[in-house]
Amino acid sequence: MENKKINAGITVFPGSNCDIDVYYALKDVFNLNVTFLWHKDEFHNFKKYDFIVIPGGFSYGDYLRAGALAARSRVMESIKDYAGGGGIILGICNGFQILLESGLLKGAMLTNKSLKFECKDVYIKNTGNNNQNNPFTCLINKDAVLRLPIAHHDGNYFAEKKEVDYLFSANQIAFQYCDAAGITSDESNPNGSIKNIGGLFGEKFNILGLMPHPERASEKILGSDDGAKIFNSIIYYVKNK
Amino acid sequence: MKITMANNKYDSGNINISGDDNIVDENYAQFGLSLEEYKKIADILQRKPDDFEIGIFSAMWSEHCSYKSSKVHLKKLPSKGDSVIIGPGENAGVIKFDDDYVLVFKMESHNHPSFIEPFEGAATGVGGIMRDIFTMGARPIANLNSLRFGNFNHPKTPYYLSEVVKGIGFYGNCMGVPTVGGEVVFDSCYDDNILVNAFTIGIARKDGIFLSSACEEGNLVVYVGSATGMDGINGATMASGEFDAKKDKKRSTVQVGDPFTEKLLLEACLEAMDKKLIVSIQDMGAAGLTSSSFEMSENSGKGMIFDLDKIPLRASKMTPIDIMLSESQERMLLACKKENYKELEKIFAKWDLNCVVIGEVIKEKVIKFNYKSKPYHDLSVEAVVNGPSYDRPFTVPSYIKNIKQFSPDDYRMPKNFNSIAERIISHPNIASKHFIYRQYDYQIGTNTITGPGSSCAVLRYKQFADLTDNEKKDSAGSIKNFNNGINNNSNANNNINISNSNNNSVANNSDSISNIHSNSNSNSNSNKGILLNSNCNSKYCYLNPYKGAMLAVIECARNISASGGTPAAITDCLNFASPEDTEIMWQFKESIRGIADAAIKFNTPAVSGNVSLYNETAGAGKIYPTPVIAMVGYIDDVNKAITSYFKDIGDDIYLLGRLSGNLGGSLFMELVHNDFMQEPPTIDIDYELKLHGCLRGLISERLLKSASDISEGGLFTALAESAISSKSNKNLGVIAEIHKTSLRNDMLLFSEFEQAFVISADPSDENKIYELAKNADIEIEKIGKTAIDMIKFNNTIELKSDIIKKEYYSVIERLFTYN
Repeated sequence: MENKKINAGITVFPGSNCDIDVYYALKDVFNLNVTFLWHKDEFHNFKKYDFIVIPGGFSYGDYLRAGALAARSRVMESIKDYAGGGGIILGICNGFQILLESGLLKGAMLTNKSLKFECKDVYIKNTGNNNQNNPFTCLINKDAVLRLPIAHHDGNYFAEKKEVDYLFSANQIAFQYCDAAGITSDESNPNGSIKNIGGLFGEKFNILGLMPHPERASEKILGSDDGAKIFNSIIYYVKNK
Repeated sequence: MKITMANNKYDSGNINISGDDNIVDENYAQFGLSLEEYKKIADILQRKPDDFEIGIFSAMWSEHCSYKSSKVHLKKLPSKGDSVIIGPGENAGVIKFDDDYVLVFKMESHNHPSFIEPFEGAATGVGGIMRDIFTMGARPIANLNSLRFGNFNHPKTPYYLSEVVKGIGFYGNCMGVPTVGGEVVFDSCYDDNILVNAFTIGIARKDGIFLSSACEEGNLVVYVGSATGMDGINGATMASGEFDAKKDKKRSTVQVGDPFTEKLLLEACLEAMDKKLIVSIQDMGAAGLTSSSFEMSENSGKGMIFDLDKIPLRASKMTPIDIMLSESQERMLLACKKENYKELEKIFAKWDLNCVVIGEVIKEKVIKFNYKSKPYHDLSVEAVVNGPSYDRPFTVPSYIKNIKQFSPDDYRMPKNFNSIAERIISHPNIASKHFIYRQYDYQIGTNTITGPGSSCAVLRYKQFADLTDNEKKDSAGSIKNFNNGINNNSNANNNINISNSNNNSVANNSDSISNIHSNSNSNSNSNKGILLNSNCNSKYCYLNPYKGAMLAVIECARNISASGGTPAAITDCLNFASPEDTEIMWQFKESIRGIADAAIKFNTPAVSGNVSLYNETAGAGKIYPTPVIAMVGYIDDVNKAITSYFKDIGDDIYLLGRLSGNLGGSLFMELVHNDFMQEPPTIDIDYELKLHGCLRGLISERLLKSASDISEGGLFTALAESAISSKSNKNLGVIAEIHKTSLRNDMLLFSEFEQAFVISADPSDENKIYELAKNADIEIEKIGKTAIDMIKFNNTIELKSDIIKKEYYSVIERLFTYN
């Protein structure tokens, strides 16, 4: 299957601003067939999408809470149906916040421990199982360290201890912030997330919420192409499923 | 009328001029008008102006809108050149980028509002300059910010810094426009007048530029964006006066920003422009609806009739003049053809924005206002727009006679160079600003090749999909993709909208598409990069405004050349104290002369700019002259751009150029001898040009791994910064020495703005580097090597690089953490 035959959808909310970057990466770097999905539209045929990205940005200006309003928009009804049918969904940054607000992922985002917007490169470690059935990390070795940028104000992931313990035991913790050597510590935690959690899978591993931006690290010229490993995993998975 | 303001510099207002009693309204001074100006207005109207008229005239005749004290001098700046497409006068300047695309950029001040309310002031400054850019049809691709705060020990500085930075991030991050660079400087002269200068650059197709001057008779006048409220009323007049003790009472003159609405406005405007539904457009910035309507009319040689009842309002009981002077943000005034209005309205409805027809363009050069369904006022466009112009008197300031030539004999050489070096590298003006810039999204757009932290921001120009398509349905391919035309190299004037069915027209059919940007063999157009930076050393401008302003231009050029680029054009933001002070006027005039002389030599026309005067507070002080320059440059192959920091251990370090050793005005003199009142170094511009050519040649031949100019903090700082800001995981240091010199060690190490660069290279390239420098007739000397752990120079400095590095990266956070 050629890359061009892979169909990717990107949701667009008012205030989405990484939509163009994801579009560029998927279309021009990975050569996929890419479509924007406007938040007001009603969709009946999401099945034609091999995967859908909910990109970063400030949907609805982050009013109320980051992601709260977008989670209640019309397109999310279709997204929920798509997720229920096993559709592959990657939520990046604000997309992660929207997935939490819509209940597709467990937990919530608090304001960064610095109380400031944080933009910088961080390291994350592939904590989850390396598993051919996982669309997002099937080409990434367990414990492999990726260098990716973050840019957010509310990325301090939180869930009750019981919940977090469960998520770990169910292998749903996808990525943890760490240092270049893969060691997780307070120093390598850029936002105060509980257990350094930076990426989280849904129960059926068809959903990934990811705080760092893989689309900003998919070409060497941008300083890192580690983000490409995530997109390449999805592409590989789609081609071979 | 409801607008009240603290009295400003013009005396108390209760003036009675004998014989003129019947026409002098005692309130004129409260509008920032002089008696002469007031009389001129009465003359034009042939009667005493009423509140509405005086409000309109005073806003348009304010320094901020009319440039009345500066325009005679601004004409002296070069504004023409081969690359210039639109010079000063429009919302922003436009220069050529390549055969298909143009760059649109401008810098603007938001000093006064930011001093009154730093968060909103800075936020709306950033919002305002971005509007200036997309008003012209360009998508903003990067921001810079040039900030000046008071002394770093001043108790209020952490508050201002924290709020301004938060405001900039709040607006820019939400808009999705990366803040890729800028400067932050601390000096006591800004204790009572901080400066916030914001720069935005955008990119547009060359046939996609929109102007304020294209209104045609019969066009509908349309108001789009946010509703009008009570914020920012009289902002332009406030910004045209100095501060006094009643500063806090001016809070209502500061606008309140909503970047989310502006993001919608951006997308809606670009979509409407893409569909050619707009004839002419101007943003509502300073003086809001007043300046946009009068300036659009004047620029188009037309008039307007409009209905004040139709303006969307968000506050009740607004008077007509409140409506006209509100500076509520995120609003645009545009003219459109009647037959296109329905489609225009649809686009703004899609983005959930107001879109209201408020009037019509008329032939007569008059603006006719209707209010409560009745004619309210008619005002001549010409009379309102063509305000006064002053050639204000100037005198050489008295402090100038106290400035002496630097002579080493007057100052003993200090003993402990290590402690001086540590003080300099950890001085807040030198130390890393990463605590600040990491609060800005500097990567969004995925064009940032070199972000903040190096000497100059480098952006690639990649094909990017544009979201302005109306049919964002799940029918793939209906999205305009700027890229295809470029990479297929097939386009000159084609509109590169890709049709709906053509899903597979990805940029290039090659399978190795992911390599397209790193492959130097691909079409050179697609590899062309954009370089940006801004500069101004106001201490030098104070000591010698001519040299200081010239240096601001040259320093920008140095940073661009050190990255491998060629300077193309500048925009300026001229921050000064009161022009009514003859000494300040001299500083202004001299600064313009310096900018002009440097810009002519570097062939970098000033295509846009902004003047901010009255940056002073009664009883407190005046700012140093601060003519900030932002420069845009190009590089043909962005893959060849280099950064300022060292890369690998064992590389050779050279000094390219020559050292003068003149410590005049330097940070070293201020810190060590507590005396910087010396003449700044003179720059030989012809040598400078030759030096830059040589440096660019070396970079273009890929012989260099890094290049840094020698600016604040001198050669020591250039060497130390190049080592400690390295991205290498190893703890890079440097061992260097210069012996064949008559200069003392303090002069060698700490003299600033030298006509020289610190460059590093692989040892195997030594012969080629020497040969190229020799052919260019530029001095070069190998002065050392990159090393591990140590920063050593001439046996006078020996420091541990990890200790220096820690200081360099932590000092700003330590001083300015404020929540």
